Amino acid sequence: MELVYSQSRDRQVSAELPDRDLAIRARGGEMVAFETLVTRKTTAVVSLARRIVGNTEDARDVAQMVFLRVWNEIHRYDEKYSFNTWLYRIATNLSIDFLRSSRSRERAHGATLHIVREREESSASDATRNAEDAELARLFETVSSRLSEKQKAAFVLREMQDCETKEIAEILGCGESTVRNHLFNARRILRKEIGRLFPEFLRGRPLA
Amino acid sequence: MSVICPILRGSFEDYRRDALPAPQRRMLREHLAACPECRNLAAAQDPAMLFARPFATEEVPEVDAKRILANVRTAVAFAETERRIGKSSRRKFASVAAAAAVFGALLLMAPRGGDRGVETAAVRPTPAAANGATAALQPVALATGTAEVEGVSTDATVYEWSPGAGREEPRVVWIVDRGLDI
Repeated sequence: MELVYSQSRDRQVSAELPDRDLAIRARGGEMVAFETLVTRKTTAVVSLARRIVGNTEDARDVAQMVFLRVWNEIHRYDEKYSFNTWLYRIATNLSIDFLRSSRSRERAHGATLHIVREREESSASDATRNAEDAELARLFETVSSRLSEKQKAAFVLREMQDCETKEIAEILGCGESTVRNHLFNARRILRKEIGRLFPEFLRGRPLA
Repeated sequence: MSVICPILRGSFEDYRRDALPAPQRRMLREHLAACPECRNLAAAQDPAMLFARPFATEEVPEVDAKRILANVRTAVAFAETERRIGKSSRRKFASVAAAAAVFGALLLMAPRGGDRGVETAAVRPTPAAANGATAALQPVALATGTAEVEGVSTDATVYEWSPGAGREEPRVVWIVDRGLDI
């Protein structure tokens, strides 16, 4: 009885702690702190992974791998650095690995069909989402298949996660100038792809 | 069109070159999300500017979040169990290696001369004290063979070494089980 009470009290305490403190507690082997981090970061990790791997189902698989990697590597976390940057680094690398795998390449070929189908079916959850965001996210999934994994990750981190160049460099493990190159090339390729597939956007077509 | 539109339109090029400081970049992104005229103009110049806006984070349904947590919990428990098993195997290996090292050291410490081979005998030899100090300093096999221990067949030899030849020094007995797969 005392144990149950103590664990629920731990959960309450953990829920109020900042990410860094939770990570330090998790590093000390505190499972409650780790689970609080998982709960708190699930949305962000799934969201980032979804934009890189291209679909929600795979993004959830990646998210699970991310949190398991976090647990296995938590002893390496240095609290001098932001926990988010460290987490995004793991999430981005695993998403890129996933994208590189043959399985995900096969799915990428069918991505356009998947997106069209999703658009037609227009599930109930879409109704609650911002319609413009949803349309842009679908547009991005369609036109981003020509980007390299690093270009895609850099673009997603900049435009969709609003990360700074320095932070992206830390996450991708490269220099800031390399990040700028990735962003420059990603924009160039996206410009070309949108012009080819959706020329109406060049004429300033209003979004949904 | 607001008064800020012409000012921000002048910064499109800097945005594309990644030359805008973070606060201005955020301000432009917020503005593009709210102002269709500026957004259409930016997209006409560079369609990749369509993505220059703060995206709402897509919420994960509670049931899926719970499933992810449950799967992570299971995977962590599995990883921890594997880690513990790995540790205990390493510990077992270390203790066997230490025992082997002690055995080797004892053999080296034993005096030269006489039959230094470790005899294996089904019958226990004469007690060390009765044979004198020299015999007492040699490890001897007490018994060897196959035995049934709690339903498991073992192929072991039991050795004895009595350095004090019956005086205060303790007698050392060890078992080498060749049936162990290390």
